[in-house]
Formats: sequence, structure tokens, C-alpha cells
Amino acid sequence: MQTIKRGLAKTFMVLALSGTAFHAGPALAAGKMTISSPQDPGSWDPIDTFLVQWAAVSTNIFDGLTYRGPDLKLVPGLAESWEELDEGKRIRFKLRQNVKFHDGEVFNAQAVKFTFERLLGEEGAKGPQRSNYTTIESVEVIDDYTVDMKLKTRDPVLLTKLAGYGAMIVPPKYIQEKGEDTFNLNPVGTGAFKFVSYAPKVDIKLAANPDYWGGAPKLAEVEYRFITEPATAVAELQAGRVDLVIPPTIPIGMIPVIEGDANLAIVSVPGPTVDALRFNTRDGITADPKVRKAIIMAVDRATIVQSILAGQASEIVSFQSALSFGYDADLKAVAYDPEGAKTLLAEAGVKPGATLQIDIRGNDSTMNEVAQVIASYLQMVGITATIKPYETNVLINDIIPQGKTGAMFQQKWGGWTFDYDNTAYAMYHSGEKWNPYDKDETLDKLLESQRPLTDRAQRDKILKEVGRYAADRALELPLYNSNAIYGISKRVKGFVAPSDNRLKLTDVTVD
Amino acid sequence: MAGFLIKRLLQAIFVVFAITLVVSFAIRLTGDPALMMFQGGGSMTEGDLMRIRASLGTDQPFIMQYLNFLKGMVTLDFGRSFTGGTSVSMLIGNALPATLLLAFISMFVSIALSIPLGIKAATARGKGADQAIRILSLIGLSFPNFWLATMLVLLFAVTLGWLPPSGMSGWTSYVMPAVTMGIILTATNVRLVRTSMLETLQSQYVMVARAKGLSETTVLYKHALRNCAIPLITYFGLQFGGLLGGIVVVERVFNWPGMGTLAFDAVSARDYPVLQAVITVLSLMIVGVNLLVDIAYGLVDPRVRTE
Repeated sequence: MQTIKRGLAKTFMVLALSGTAFHAGPALAAGKMTISSPQDPGSWDPIDTFLVQWAAVSTNIFDGLTYRGPDLKLVPGLAESWEELDEGKRIRFKLRQNVKFHDGEVFNAQAVKFTFERLLGEEGAKGPQRSNYTTIESVEVIDDYTVDMKLKTRDPVLLTKLAGYGAMIVPPKYIQEKGEDTFNLNPVGTGAFKFVSYAPKVDIKLAANPDYWGGAPKLAEVEYRFITEPATAVAELQAGRVDLVIPPTIPIGMIPVIEGDANLAIVSVPGPTVDALRFNTRDGITADPKVRKAIIMAVDRATIVQSILAGQASEIVSFQSALSFGYDADLKAVAYDPEGAKTLLAEAGVKPGATLQIDIRGNDSTMNEVAQVIASYLQMVGITATIKPYETNVLINDIIPQGKTGAMFQQKWGGWTFDYDNTAYAMYHSGEKWNPYDKDETLDKLLESQRPLTDRAQRDKILKEVGRYAADRALELPLYNSNAIYGISKRVKGFVAPSDNRLKLTDVTVD
Repeated sequence: MAGFLIKRLLQAIFVVFAITLVVSFAIRLTGDPALMMFQGGGSMTEGDLMRIRASLGTDQPFIMQYLNFLKGMVTLDFGRSFTGGTSVSMLIGNALPATLLLAFISMFVSIALSIPLGIKAATARGKGADQAIRILSLIGLSFPNFWLATMLVLLFAVTLGWLPPSGMSGWTSYVMPAVTMGIILTATNVRLVRTSMLETLQSQYVMVARAKGLSETTVLYKHALRNCAIPLITYFGLQFGGLLGGIVVVERVFNWPGMGTLAFDAVSARDYPVLQAVITVLSLMIVGVNLLVDIAYGLVDPRVRTE
């Protein structure tokens, strides 16, 4: 017993002392910025993920052939210029010279070829990014600084897609020599910041790349800490240990806390994500378009945006934000008209007291409130709605694809490409995973017809038609486009909040 | 004692298997990780999904996946995380020490507080000190841990700026998580120590010890405490299991890079390999602690040893 006691005492001593072995000074040295990100993507390889939290970091490590900043305009990246050949089925890129990867390897046409062959080959097949780039047939090296991208079909969104995610240019020699596993955890790119260290679930640290082709960054160091809990991230911001909290972290309810702090500010910009309650157009009362229209008329969305979302969102008319390609400014929202809704419901033979179910994401606190308000609006026109919260993944991966939803169900959607096709095709084209109920040949044809068009005006016209057609058929109750909410310390200067979370920190400074 | 131990060991192994089987099966009912990777990523074909399922191994029948997992468990290779392909053993290797350290320090804080306080309350039965300790313990019991954690952060990190609000960096970062866990544990433990002590103090050998003229400290700590230790050890041991479960909430609030954070993320991402490994390791530990409690009985109480 005596020995056990002593043993225990020793153990506790060791444990207590080992705590001091972890050293990390507060992140306040001049020229260092600390960012709180809600999720650790687990791998820094561009082909592994669709997570915006990956892009929030990697936009600083990697470059693409093209670049799209916060203004959403497409500009040259690692390619200085490009031209379309063979009627848009071949794109010729002139590459930037004298660019080096962080490990000293030279960036050239071979690196571009390697990047896309890896993405479309065996390694890429293991990740989700490949599916975005399948229009690329092959990449041919013309000379050291010229490459041709041969396409299977014309792809109007390709140049945008080359600005992010799977299309980030990776170093061939480094990956071949060190292997995929090393690359996942020790990324090397051509970007403004070099990778320094990564501790899973804790942080990733970057340092300035003084030789960056776009000009050396002003910050010396950047650290991204992974903090999931909003209250914790905000406490870190208030304590001055974090300079920026990126979305989606800060809930609308916490905005006053940050605005009440003299050292902090809220920056919010329209984000890519839109929320809608979609209808089961196959069964039940919502199979009737009149009922669907009546439901849309019964809900006052302006009030919802103002009172529940505190203005941190904008109303939508179709399933896309105003930033999206294919957005139709002339498409008018269905006006709030409860009397008209009642008339329509009566015409459709829906008796007062009819019931329906609204499926929502249980952890979406905003939608929980919004759904309750919608339920009370529906009550006013004689429909009793019950709200069924699901765990997000169950709703997305099981309930919706299998067509097991209630009459209405929440869908949150929006891609970083800001192209309506990204949403419309997945939501409306028959047979798509997230379209379990609707089959509409006209819509299928419209959606298919715009996919190969490189003529922007023509595509824009068709996408607008898709939006109008979907609105006419009342396929969903369009709700709102939420803002991307950043919490920022006033010490940070020169930060421009991007809508798509792809922060580029080249021009940012911290006092 | 040996036969008894072997029996308990076999039971423990069975329990761990049962837990991993149920968890592995249940998580697979709740969604396809391949499909989840495409959330917000636009359109994908069935072929894309199949390729990803094949690379994750989720295209195989459940029984094969489970057998692979068991094989991995024996060779201590838990495979790769579905999120990013990181080695699961590495993730556990990082997270487990963080959680254990926090759990041990919390237990230590709690034991160091509850034994003297409990004894004080017992010896001062019905008097002011007893009342005060009991009321404080009731208050401690009524705190939900996430609320207490948030309040501590607000006071010590945001308002006073003495301690870091979250993360694991230096000894200061241990204070708030350990105190949060410790206070809640202490609240229950104090009552237990007090009751146990009250019973013991009424025994005849305590009277004899006092009659012999031993000092009150010796009577309390050497004679009485040792005799009331059995129920306490049982309880502390079992509490350790509960502690590992309760730590999930505290880890989340303090952004502690431990098993709780790992489990939470794995559930949200349907990261089967990580979740299975976390559950296995935690259940091994809880079952292990229970075994240790049995052994500790024998060490403290000679009657069990000779059984």
C-alpha cells in the first residue's frame, strides 16, 4: 500500500509537471495573425475535399491557373493568359515564368500536366474533387511555359473552377519523392505563404513566402486554430488571442456581443449559401402546384429576414443568391398575400386544418426559429404544420435522397463557383440524388442545353429561364441567402471579406 | 483471486466486443460518408460515389468491414480517417494523452478537495462548517458543466484576462477545464466521503483508537479513512468512466484536442474508422478501470485477498 501511495503521488507529480512541457506563447508578436476556423479538413491535399475551411487556409498556400478574389472577377493566376481554340474544346494557357514552389522546385508546364493527371487519375478517384473536372480530357505540354487543355465537351464554368480547390497546382517532384501521405500533412505550393506545421484538430501554421510572384505578403506568420464552439471562438477573439473568426462560426445571436466590444467589429458579406424549403411535388397536398403557390404566398419572408435573421441575409426569389451567374434581377418575388393563399387553397380543395410536415436540420438554430414562424404563417391560412428536426447528415444523406421527407424539407445549398447550374442541376434534373420527387422533361432539357455552352449571354438566358420555370411551378419556398459573418479585431488592417471564405492574406497587416 | 480475475477479464473482453459491434453497426445506418463529401460540391455521378466508396472500403459488406476493423484492432492499426486520410492511430495518439491528463488532473483536484472537506463535514456534523460544505456541494451539483465552463471563461479569460479561454498550451490552459470538471466531481464526492466517514466514526475501533490516546489526525486519516476507503475507491473508479464521457462537453467548450473533440468531429463527419477507434479505446479504458477497482479492493481489504 505504501508503495502504491508513493507511486500515485509520483504519477500525479509527473502529470502535473508534464503540463508545463507544452509551450506556446500568446499570439501577439507583430506581424502574426491568428484565425479561428470551425473545422479541420484533415488533409491539405487539394483533391481530397470540398470543405470551405480547407480553402480558407489553402488559398494562401496554393495557386491555380486562374484566380478569383473577393470581387468574384476572374483574373490570371499561374497562367498569364489563355485562349480558346477548337471552338472552345481546347484552352491554351501561357504560364507565368520564374515561379518556384516552396521547396524550390520550378513551376512549369510539366507541373500543370502532373496536377491534372493526378486529379483525374487513380489518386483523384479517391477524392470528391475529380467529379468537378471530368470535362478535361487531357493536358498537353506545348513547351515549358505553354500547355493545352483538351476538353471532352465545352465547359463554361471550367475557368472559374481552375481558380480553386481541386485545380490548385501541386509540385510533381515533391509528391513523387515524398509520397502522398507526406503531401497530405505537409503541403507545398506556390502561394503567398509557406506551410510550417500542422497539428490535427489544433492548428496549422504558415509563414510568409518572400519570393511570392504576386509580391511578398505583409504578414510574417499566420496561424489557423480549429475552434468549433462559437462561444469559445468569440471568447478567444475578445481575449485578443484570435484576430479573425471566419464563417460559419458566429451565430446571429452573438453579433451584439462582438459589436459591443470596442476592439472588435463584425464584417458581413453575402455568402454562397441559400436556404429554401423544398416541396414534395409527388405526394400529398403539395403535389398540387396551387397548394405550393398558396404556401409561398402565405409566408412573409421580408419579416423573417428582418426580425429573425437581423438583416444578416437577403430574400431570394429563386434557389440562388444575387451573386450567382444566372441570377435574374427581373424575376419578382411572390408577394405576401394570406387572403390570396386562402382562396388558392380553397380552389385546390384543401380544407382548413390540413396538416403537413416540415423537415429541418436540427442543429441549425436559425432555421429552427424560422420554421416555427413559417408554421404560424401557415396556421393563419388554415394549414397545421409540424416541424421535424433531423440530424443534418441524416436529413441530407438519407431522408432527402430516399424521398422520405415531409411535404416540405429544408435544403441549404450553394457552391463556391457561384453558378446557378451548380444548384439547379442538382435540385431539378430528374434522377439527381437530391431530387427524389420531381421529373420534368422541359426542365431536364433546359438544364442539359446550357451545360456545354461557352457563350455566356446564351447560358445566362437559359439559366434565367430555368429560374423562372422553377418559380412558375413553385418547386420550392425560396427563403434567404445568409451572409457570411466574420468577427474581426480592429488591429487587423487591409482585410477584405470574401463571400466564398477563400481568404487571401497577402495584403493584410496586424498592428 | 486469480480465477476471479480471469473471469472478470473475459467479461471485459466480451463487453468491449459488444460495444464496438453495436457502434460500428449503428453508425453505418445513419448516412453514406461518400455522399457527404459531395455536400455543396455540385453534381456527381453514381460512378464518382462508387469510386469513393471503394477507396474508403464502405462498398464491402458490413461483416467484412467489421472483421477488417477487428484485424486492425489486434495489430493496433485502426486504418485511416475518412476526413483527409490521416492515420487514426496518430489521431488517437495525439488525443488520448490530452484527455487522460485532463481526466487525471480533474480527479486529483476532486480527491484533494473532497477528502478533507468531507472529513471536516463529518467531524463537524450538524455544525456551521458541515452546513456550509453541504450547501456548497448542493450548489456545485446544480451547475451544468457547460454553463460553469462558459462562466469561468467569461470571468477569467474575457474579463480578467488571467487565463487562456481555450486550447492546450502551457499549464495555465489546464486550470479552467480541470477546475470545471473538478468542481462538479467534488460536489458529489464530498457527500460520499462525509457519509462514509460518519458511519466509520461510529465504529468501536475508532473509539478504541481515541481511547488509546492517539491524536485526532491519526485517528481520522490512518484508521477511519482507510476503513471507509473501499466504497470511495469503487466510486472514484466508476466515476472515472463517467468522467471520460462527461469530458466531451468540457473539451468542446475549451477546445481541448482530446478524445471528446475527436469523437464529436467523427460523429458529425461519419468518420467510421475514427469513431470506432475512439469508442474502442474509451471502452477499453472504462472496462480496464473497473478491473483495476476490483484489484484495488484486494489491496486495500485483506478479506477480499484471502477469498
